[in-house]
Amino acid sequence: MSTIAPEPVAGGRTHLAGALVVPATIFVAIGLLGPIAILFRYSLNYFVPGQFMVDGLTIENYVKFFTDSYYLNVLWRTVRVSVICTIACLIMGFPLAYVLARTQSRFKNLMVIAVVLPLFVGNAVRSAGWMTAFGSRGALNASLMGLGIIDQPLEIMFTETAVIIGIIAVNLPFMVLTLQSVIEGINRNVEEAAFSLGAGPAAMFRRVLWPLAMPGILAGTILTFILAMNAYATPVLLGGPKFQTMGPLVYGQFAQQNNWPFGGAISFILMTATILLTVAANLIVQRRYR
Amino acid sequence: MARLSIDTLKKVYGDFNAVDNVTIDIADGEFLVLLGPSGCGKTTTLRMVAGFIAPSAGKIAIGERDVTNLPPWKRNCGLVFQSYALFPHMTVAENVAFGLEMRKLSPADRAPRVAEALRLVRLTGFDERYPRQLSGGQQQRVALARALAMQPDVLLLDEPLSNLDAKLRQEVRVEIRDLQRKLGLTTIMVTHDQEEALTMADRLVVMEKGKVRQIGSQRELYEKPADRFVAGFIGRSAFLDGEIAAPGRFRTAGGLEITSTAAKGTGPATLALRPERIAVAGDAAASANRFEARVEHVSYLGALLDVDVKLSGHDRMLLQIPNRQGGVEPKPGETITIGWAEDAGLVYPREP
Repeated sequence: MSTIAPEPVAGGRTHLAGALVVPATIFVAIGLLGPIAILFRYSLNYFVPGQFMVDGLTIENYVKFFTDSYYLNVLWRTVRVSVICTIACLIMGFPLAYVLARTQSRFKNLMVIAVVLPLFVGNAVRSAGWMTAFGSRGALNASLMGLGIIDQPLEIMFTETAVIIGIIAVNLPFMVLTLQSVIEGINRNVEEAAFSLGAGPAAMFRRVLWPLAMPGILAGTILTFILAMNAYATPVLLGGPKFQTMGPLVYGQFAQQNNWPFGGAISFILMTATILLTVAANLIVQRRYR
Repeated sequence: MARLSIDTLKKVYGDFNAVDNVTIDIADGEFLVLLGPSGCGKTTTLRMVAGFIAPSAGKIAIGERDVTNLPPWKRNCGLVFQSYALFPHMTVAENVAFGLEMRKLSPADRAPRVAEALRLVRLTGFDERYPRQLSGGQQQRVALARALAMQPDVLLLDEPLSNLDAKLRQEVRVEIRDLQRKLGLTTIMVTHDQEEALTMADRLVVMEKGKVRQIGSQRELYEKPADRFVAGFIGRSAFLDGEIAAPGRFRTAGGLEITSTAAKGTGPATLALRPERIAVAGDAAASANRFEARVEHVSYLGALLDVDVKLSGHDRMLLQIPNRQGGVEPKPGETITIGWAEDAGLVYPREP
């Protein structure tokens, strides 16, 4: 698909198009690019306890991250959790998105709203709800123990599993909505053509639906992967103090340790890792399906 | 190739009979066209044959094989859609090879059959193109080649020409027909385009409101329409409402007496006349039924003139007069003589 610039409207109102992109561009420049540039500059400074930050040009903060197995573990854990969450979102989201895209039901709009509804509840509120439900004294354990099914509370809270479940719950709607809009753009007749040519449902999915939905699959996985890599509230609230991922780590360095140079370095490592993994996955997928 | 039989097929949605007891037998190699206004059940019938809609009742058999409960991928029906439905991410060759791939043919065995199918639709050399690089007519021919390559038992065409422009439609029409004859394909085509149906079909099925109104050849449908609906739907007819006064005598709502050999029985009825059976002016002198008609409106259509006439306060009809040199050219307000023979019309009991 190539994008073609729209023909100039009679009267030469092309300046208007330029004017239309100005507000967003300024906002992004001031709100995002500026701080990132400053952050990058800070990440090259020295940190001297007591002196806060000393101007300099050093890679020592990056060296510190990559030579300390604790920090490498945090990065690896973040990537692992994000990949698992993204795959789980794709596996659970695709069938749901397909049904939503293809349904003739007059309740379709309600179904879409039901998918979006969880997003109305903020991450913090949702996680707090989870704590009351799945904590060692939470509703689930209390019920199971009350019924005598278990005699020790199940350890659900403050585990990696809890964080993964929590992030999936947050990210699933994004995956579903992205996939749904792409699947709706695939002509139903194309699927029927595959069936009539002798393809069973599995073959039709593999050879027709999946490759045609690929733009949506890429967009959806990128979106959920980025959200998972940068998750903050969910890992903090459901993972507990000992479960560190990159998002909370960055915050800790800035807010608790006051180590801005190292915090800046971690931010950049997180950003770079996210971008590299996303681009790599895209390249692999596109080579396969082009 | 095989014969196809559709036996008392029925599809009910709630209390709506989309397809109502349709029975059609299609001979081996026959080109059958399902024709009717939109919503008449023709597409639903086709989709039941293809296996996309489960019938509420009835039976579909291809050859000796009862396929009523088989999924579409086990029916071996080649299907061509109005929207072409090519796989946009595959080349022309991959599209055409898809059915063979699904039948587990090795790439080496697929190649000659793909080449043959593309040769049949005159698209040799287009193998590596993508559908988006082709014109509408070419895309439709690829869709046809894709359906033909897997050597289907039955070819199903769902309004295959309606997305093409008028000139291309003529060409592809002839092309499909030639191929169908050459390969002896048992074919069902659905269309609402009467001209398309008449030029392509061996036999036509006229459907309305889920029911089969008439099955027959072009000539049978035109000259002996089974009911008033078919008389109005296939070709044109001038209708006069009235009643059968006595055997052989038809009286219009406006009180005109018409002798007609087709008037049998009694009760309210409609007389249908084909426009070319109605004589005008001097030609009408010898007609058994002769009337003075007042010209209300004239439409110039090139080869024909459509003339709206009033025979009496309650009787109006639409004439078609050939636009011949030196022929009659009525003007609004004039009175002309029209007439027709005793055996010219058909009389149908009035439908409730």
